[in-house]
Amino acid sequence: MAKTSKRSRSSSSSSSNTKSKKKKKNSRTAPNSVAMKASAASKDNKNSSNPFETIWSRRKFDILGKKRKGEELRIGLSRCRAIEKRKKTLLKEYEESGKSSVFLDKRIGEQNEQLGEFDKAIIRSQRERQLKNKKSKYNLSDGEEDDDFGIPNLGPLSGQDDFEDEILSDDDGDDADADRTNKKPAILRQLNAHGLPQDAVHGEENKPKTKKEVMQEVILKSKFFKAQKAKDKEENEQLMEELDKSFTSLVQSQALSSLTEPGKMNALKALVNKDIPNEHVKKDELPVIQKPETFKQQEQPDSYDKLVYEMAIDSRARPSDRTKTPEEIAQKERERLEQLEEDRKKRMLVADESSDEENDDVEKLSAQRPRSISGDDLGDSFSLYEEPGTTKGWVDEILARKEADDSDNEDDDSSEESASANDDGDDEGSDEDDTDGDDDEHEKSTSLKDWEQSDDDNLGTDLEEDEEHGSHDGDDGEIEPISHKKSKKTEPVEPRKGDEKSLDGKKKKANREQHSTQPDIPHIIEAPKSFEEFCAILENCSNENVILVVDRIRKSNAIQLAAENRKKIQVFYGVLLQYFAVLANKKPLNIELLNFLVKPLMEMSVEIPYFSAICARQRILRTRAQFCEALKNTAENSSWPSMKTLSLLRLWSMIFPCSDFRHVVMTPVILLMSEYLMRCPILSGRDIAIGSFLCTMVLSITKQSQKFCPEAIMFLRTLLMATTERKPSSYQESQFYHLMELKEIKPLLHIHDHVNEIRPLNFLMVMDMQEDTSFFSSDDFRVGVLVTMVETLQGFVDIYKELSSFPEIFLPISMLLLEVAQQENMPATLQDKFKDVAELINKKANKHHMMRKPLQMQKKKPVPIQLVAPKFEENFVKGRDYDPDRERAERRKLKKLVKREAKGAARELRKDNSFIFEVKEKDKALLEDERAENYGKARAFLQEQEHAFKSGQLGKGKGRKRRR
Amino acid sequence: MVRPYGKGHKRKKKGERYDKEEDEVEDKQVEEENTDDETEISAQDAEEKTEEEREELPELEGIPVGPSAQTAKKPGVIFVLEKASLEVAKVGKNYQILNSEEHANFLRRNNKNPADYRPDIIYQALLSILDSPLNKAGCLRAVYVKTDKGVLFEVKPYVRIPRTYKRFAGIMLQLLQKLSIAAVGKREKLLRVIKNPVTQHLPLNSRKIGFSHSSDKLVEMEKYVAGVGGDTDLVFVVGAMSHGKIESDYIDDFISVSEYPLSAAWCIARICEAVSKKWRVL
Repeated sequence: MAKTSKRSRSSSSSSSNTKSKKKKKNSRTAPNSVAMKASAASKDNKNSSNPFETIWSRRKFDILGKKRKGEELRIGLSRCRAIEKRKKTLLKEYEESGKSSVFLDKRIGEQNEQLGEFDKAIIRSQRERQLKNKKSKYNLSDGEEDDDFGIPNLGPLSGQDDFEDEILSDDDGDDADADRTNKKPAILRQLNAHGLPQDAVHGEENKPKTKKEVMQEVILKSKFFKAQKAKDKEENEQLMEELDKSFTSLVQSQALSSLTEPGKMNALKALVNKDIPNEHVKKDELPVIQKPETFKQQEQPDSYDKLVYEMAIDSRARPSDRTKTPEEIAQKERERLEQLEEDRKKRMLVADESSDEENDDVEKLSAQRPRSISGDDLGDSFSLYEEPGTTKGWVDEILARKEADDSDNEDDDSSEESASANDDGDDEGSDEDDTDGDDDEHEKSTSLKDWEQSDDDNLGTDLEEDEEHGSHDGDDGEIEPISHKKSKKTEPVEPRKGDEKSLDGKKKKANREQHSTQPDIPHIIEAPKSFEEFCAILENCSNENVILVVDRIRKSNAIQLAAENRKKIQVFYGVLLQYFAVLANKKPLNIELLNFLVKPLMEMSVEIPYFSAICARQRILRTRAQFCEALKNTAENSSWPSMKTLSLLRLWSMIFPCSDFRHVVMTPVILLMSEYLMRCPILSGRDIAIGSFLCTMVLSITKQSQKFCPEAIMFLRTLLMATTERKPSSYQESQFYHLMELKEIKPLLHIHDHVNEIRPLNFLMVMDMQEDTSFFSSDDFRVGVLVTMVETLQGFVDIYKELSSFPEIFLPISMLLLEVAQQENMPATLQDKFKDVAELINKKANKHHMMRKPLQMQKKKPVPIQLVAPKFEENFVKGRDYDPDRERAERRKLKKLVKREAKGAARELRKDNSFIFEVKEKDKALLEDERAENYGKARAFLQEQEHAFKSGQLGKGKGRKRRR
Repeated sequence: MVRPYGKGHKRKKKGERYDKEEDEVEDKQVEEENTDDETEISAQDAEEKTEEEREELPELEGIPVGPSAQTAKKPGVIFVLEKASLEVAKVGKNYQILNSEEHANFLRRNNKNPADYRPDIIYQALLSILDSPLNKAGCLRAVYVKTDKGVLFEVKPYVRIPRTYKRFAGIMLQLLQKLSIAAVGKREKLLRVIKNPVTQHLPLNSRKIGFSHSSDKLVEMEKYVAGVGGDTDLVFVVGAMSHGKIESDYIDDFISVSEYPLSAAWCIARICEAVSKKWRVL
C-alpha cells in the first residue's frame, strides 16, 4: 500500500511538465527502487524539511548474495507519504461528509494530474473532432462517400456469379463421364498447380464469366485429361517392356536355374523366346483393345502363368502329424485292443474253417495297420501275445518320452519325476476326482471296509492253510531277486528294474508255454468290481498272465477314456491292492508276482493319488488296530507284523514320497513302524529278523529326509545287548531301560561256537520258517543278523552324523560294539566290521565334542543409545510448506494470508482512525479557538461598554449632551 | 511491514522458550490444545513400551544374564565447537551453506577468503563426536556449536548425523533458516538454535577445558582427564575452524594435547578415547 501511495505521491508532487515526463520514463523502465530514490531526491530538493525522512532502515542479518530488498525502505518517508495520501482521500471524504451535494469536475483531462494545460487542450480538441466524425448510419451520404458505398454492393454481385458458375460446371459434369465429375476437385487443384488457367480462376472471383469462357475452360480440362491418360498408358507400356527385358535376362542368367528344376527351366526359356515376339504384337494391340485382350488371357492361362503358379506351389513343407496327447494314445490303444478282440472272437467262432478268406481279411486288416502285420501273419492266436509285450503300454510311452533325457537316472528318481509329471497331466482329473471323490467317499469307505474284511478273512484262511501246510518246499527260484535284504533296501528299485527286464525277457519264453496250456485272455476286460471277480479272472493264470490281465484291464478302462472309468479304476485299485496283500500273505510266497504287481500299482496310484492315499490310510488304521489287539494278548502269538504288512509298508514307501516333512501316508507309516519296533517284545529269532528288516526299512525311508527315529536305533542297541552275555542288571547306568517296556533281553544272539563263513540272510526264507525252527538258534542265523545289523547301524550313523546330539545317541552303542567285537567266538570279518563302525562313531562323536562349547553366562551386550534421524528437506527453501498433506498446507497458507491481510487491514484502519482523530482534533481546536476569539471579542466589547458606562461616557452624558 | 504503534513491548514479556513442545511432552497435564499432540504422545509411549518389552526378553531362556558393565549414573561430557564456519548465502537462486571448493568464485566475487569457509571441519567433528563409543554408551550430554557469525545451536546426542556431506549441508541450511530440526516421525527437536551465550546452557559444576595448539600447557590427555574430579561434568571447547584460536572468556583451562597442530576430528578422537578409558567404556 505504501508503495502505491509513494508512486502516486511522487508523480503528484512534481509540478513542472518536463520533470514529470522524465519521471514517467523512469518509472516505466527502471525498477521501483530507482524511481523511489529519484522521487525522494526530488522531494529532498524541494523541501528537505523533515529530517526523519532521510533515515534509512537497517538490515538485521547480513546474508551474502541476498538481494537487499528491504534496505531501501525509509520508514519516515513512507509514513509521511501515507499521511499525504490520507489527506487526499480520507480527508476529502471527511470534509464532504457533512454536505448534501458535491461539486464534480468532469472536464476532460482535469482528473489526470500529470497533464499540463496544453496537453489538456489538445485532448479536448481531439475529442471534439472525434465527436464530429462519428455519424449516424441513417444519415444520407454525401457525394464523397459513394465509393465506399459501391464496394459492399460488389460483394453480393460477384457471389451471384460464383453461384452461376457452379451450376454451369455441374451441367458440364452431366455431359461428361461419371468419372470426371468425381474427380473434379482434383482437377481444379491440378489446374491451379499448373498455373496456366490460374488467371481465369483468379478472374472468376472478380469478374463474371461469360459462357464462352466457361466452355473454353471445360474444353481445356477435357483435353488435359486426355493427354494425361495417354501419358499414363505410355508409361505403363514402358514399364512392362522393362520388366520383360529384365525377366529374359534373368532367365538367361544362372540365377534362376539354381532355384528351379531343370525341366521347368527349359520351359521358361522356351516361353521367353516365344514371348518376346508376342509382346511386340501385344504392344501394338494394347492401346486399341485392352480389355478383351486381358479377358482372353484370363480365359486360357498361358504357359507362363502356369509355370509361375507351379513354382509358387512347388516346394511347400508338408505339415507333420501333431504329437499325440496321452488321451489320444490311450484311445488308440483301446481301439487297437478292441480290434484285436474282435478278431479273436471271429477266430473263435470260425476257428475250424480258417479259410483263405479269413486270411485275406486279416491281411486287409493288416494292410490297414502295418504294425500289427507281423503278429497276425503267423496265424491263429499265437503271436497275439507277443504284441502287448513288444508294444509298450501308453504309460510306458509317456514315461519313455520323459525319460529320454535322463535315462541314466536312478529308476526311483525317474519314476518320481514321471509321477510328478503325470500329476500335471492328471491335475484336471484329480480335480474332478476331488469333486467325485466327495460323492464317492461313503461308498468308498464302505467298500474299502468290505475289502479289508474279505482280505482279513482270507488272511485267516491263509493262516490256517499255512498251518496245514506245515513245512513247504521252496519251489522255483523265486526268492532269488531279494536274496540280500540290505541290497534290496538301499537300492529299492533294483528289483523293479529287474522285473521289467525279466518281464520283457521272459514273456516271449513264457508265451510259448502258455500258449499250449492256457486259454486265451480276452483283450478287453471289464474292471472287476470285487475281489472274487478278480480272482475268477486270474484263475489258473501264470505270473506273466496276471500282469498281462492287469495291464489290459487298465488299458481298457483308462481314466482318460471315459469319466466313469475313474471310478472303475479306483475300485480296481482297491481290488488289486487287496490281491497284493493276500498274495503277500500266501505261503509259499510268490515274490515274483509281487514284484510284478508293484509296477501297475505304482502307476495307478499316480493316476489316482487321492484314492490311493485313502486306501493306504485305511489299511494303516486297520493294521494299527490289529496291532494293538495283538499286543494285549502277547502271550499267544507274536505281535510283530506279518509278511503282508511288511510288503504293504514297503510298497507304500515306494509309492509315496518319503522325504516329505509331513505326508498323509508316509508319516503314519513311519510312526507305525516305530511303534512295532518299540512295543513288540523280542521273543524269538524270527522277531529279531523282522525287527532288523523294519530297521532297514526305516533307514531307507529316513535316509533322504534325515529324520531322527530313536526307536530303530534303540532296537539295534537292544540287539547288540542281546549279543552279549551280561545280565541286564549290570546295565544300571544305562538310561534306556525305562524306555523298553517289556523287553527282557535274553542273549538270543550270543554266538557260542566258531563260525567260519558269513552267509547273508535271506529274509523271505526266514519269514517262511516256523518260529521254533532250529535255524533261529543256529549261529549262522546269528551271524547273518549281526551283519545286517551292523550295516544298518552304519547307515544310521551316516545319516545322523550331523545331529548335535550324535555323541549321546551313539556313544553307548559304540561301547557295546567294542564289547561285542571282543567276544571270543566272533568271526574275524564281523569283528572288523564292528570295530570299524565303533571307530566311525567315536570319530564323529569326537568331532562333535570338539565343536561343543562350555555353557556360559549369557552376556548382555550394552545397548547403544537409540539414534534418531533428523527430518529435513533435500532442497530447503525458506517459507515453503513441506507438509506432505497438500490440502493442509494449502489451508495453512490461506489462513496465514487471511491473518496477514486482516492484520494489515486493522493496522490501516487504526492509522485511518488516528488520522481522522487528528483532523477532528484540529477542527475542534480551530473551533475552540474561534469560540474563544468570539468570546474574547464579545467580552472585550462588553468590557469596553462597561468601562464606558462606568466612566459615564456612555449614554446619558453623551446622549444627553447630544440631545441637549 | 511495520510494527503497530503501541504494541511492541508485549512479546518481550514472555521470555525465550525453545523447548516449548518438549515441555508439553513432559507434563501431559497441560491443557489439551491439540488432539494431534495427544495421539502422537500416546503413540510414542506405546513405542517405548514395546521397546522395553523387547529388551526384557532374553536371547536364551533359562540362562541367566551376566551383569552388564554399565553403571547407572555418570557425569556427562559436553562438547562446544567454536567458530564453526556455517554460513548461509544466496548463491544463484538458492540458499546454500558456503563451502570453499564449491563457492570459491562466489566468495572471491564477494571479497571473502574461500579458505575460511570450511563446513567440512564441523561435519567431521560432529561425526567423530556422535559416532564415538562414548556417545553410544550414553555419556554425552550435548554438543553446542557456535558458528562464525555467532549463531549458537544445540545438537542432541542421539542425532544420527547424515553420512554424506551433502545431506549434512542440507540439514545445516534448514537449521539456520528454520532454527530447528525435528526428528523423523516425532515432534522432538534434535537440533535447534539457542540463545547466546553458551554458558547459560552449561551445567553449573562443570569444568570447561579449551583446546589450543598455542597453549603452553601440553598434557597427556588420559592423565589429565583422570586428574579431574569424578563428579564434575566435563566441557570440552574445541575450535572447528581451519586457522586461528578460540577466544572465550568462560574457559577455565587451556590445554594442548599434542605437540603438533591437530585437526578438530583428531583432537576430539583423543578426548573421547581418554574419557572412555576413564569411564571404562569399551
